[in-house]
Amino acid sequence: MTNIAEARIRREFKEVVKSDEVAACNIKVELVNDTFNELRGEIAGPPDTPYAGGQFHLEIKIPETYPFNPPIVKFLTKIWHPNISSVTGAICLDILKDQWAAAMTLRTVLLSLQALLAAAEPDDPQDAVVAQQYKENHSIFEKTARHWTAVYAGGPKSYPDLDSKILSLKTMGFEEHQARAALSSKGWDLERATEYLIN
Amino acid sequence: MASYFDEHDMSNGEGSAQPRPDQSLLLRILEMARLLQEEMDVEIVSDLGFMSVSGKAPPASKKVVEELETKLISPASACLGKQCAICLVSFVEEDETKVLPCNHQFHSVCIVTWLKQVNSCPICRYELPTDDPNYEEMRKHKARAKQREYEQETLHNSMFG
Repeated sequence: MTNIAEARIRREFKEVVKSDEVAACNIKVELVNDTFNELRGEIAGPPDTPYAGGQFHLEIKIPETYPFNPPIVKFLTKIWHPNISSVTGAICLDILKDQWAAAMTLRTVLLSLQALLAAAEPDDPQDAVVAQQYKENHSIFEKTARHWTAVYAGGPKSYPDLDSKILSLKTMGFEEHQARAALSSKGWDLERATEYLIN
Repeated sequence: MASYFDEHDMSNGEGSAQPRPDQSLLLRILEMARLLQEEMDVEIVSDLGFMSVSGKAPPASKKVVEELETKLISPASACLGKQCAICLVSFVEEDETKVLPCNHQFHSVCIVTWLKQVNSCPICRYELPTDDPNYEEMRKHKARAKQREYEQETLHNSMFG
């Protein structure tokens, strides 16, 4: 890792640690090792969204050419969102790609991701299935996103009706997350989800 | 028995190469519509071209970067405690810096490295000229579109505003 990248991350790290957002438990950054090329981020789900009450963990990799190239970020916490892959956690956000600018920092990246949770861009999707549900069946989308927030990010809202559908697939021998993902992408239609899993 | 055409004092149209006046007018309207459509298509195609050819903007023009004025940090400005937004290090006396037309100041090394990649200010995205003719063409095109929009609005406001 070149000197400028490491020196900058050290400075930014201090900036995030002493920022107001950290004080308010909105964002957090931790070191993974002492070479400063890999970090763990954490953002709180924004209030009044299906992600409220959840804590979302991020993997942040710093390229050697940082800050001339963006950090490589993905969600470690599973999340149901049009611009984030429900399978890999990959993120579709312009500032992490071609709209990156060298004056952006870890703090602004984390805040932008928080803003993305509050305002999805379904027309520029990362996860086509989620994006389609977001546009065509918004109430099911919100319920699903809230359910995923509760299960994977420690959110508050539980849905016994969804849990019982997952349970019936589990008794058929399917793994829990696999069952949840299939039901989520099939609008919680048990029959279609079963068919999908069998095929 | 007289034919339908005779009764109505008309020829049956066979062999008459000359299109009737209303027909030629129709043809002209169709031609105009086609031209308009083509012009719109060109605009759509070029917009798409801009998106796909370069999601990322090209580097700033080499000449423009070379011609940016170098400014040494004076003792007085070092005291202000401002920092370079690229490396996040505060400016100290004798630091070599460059100031972009948008008035944002960076260490020379930092901003030159950045401008070799992208043509805009890392803080405000003010765009410097590039050496990429396609990108420049697209930029002019966009500026023209904006100007047209402005003119149309002005005209509209002067009539109805």
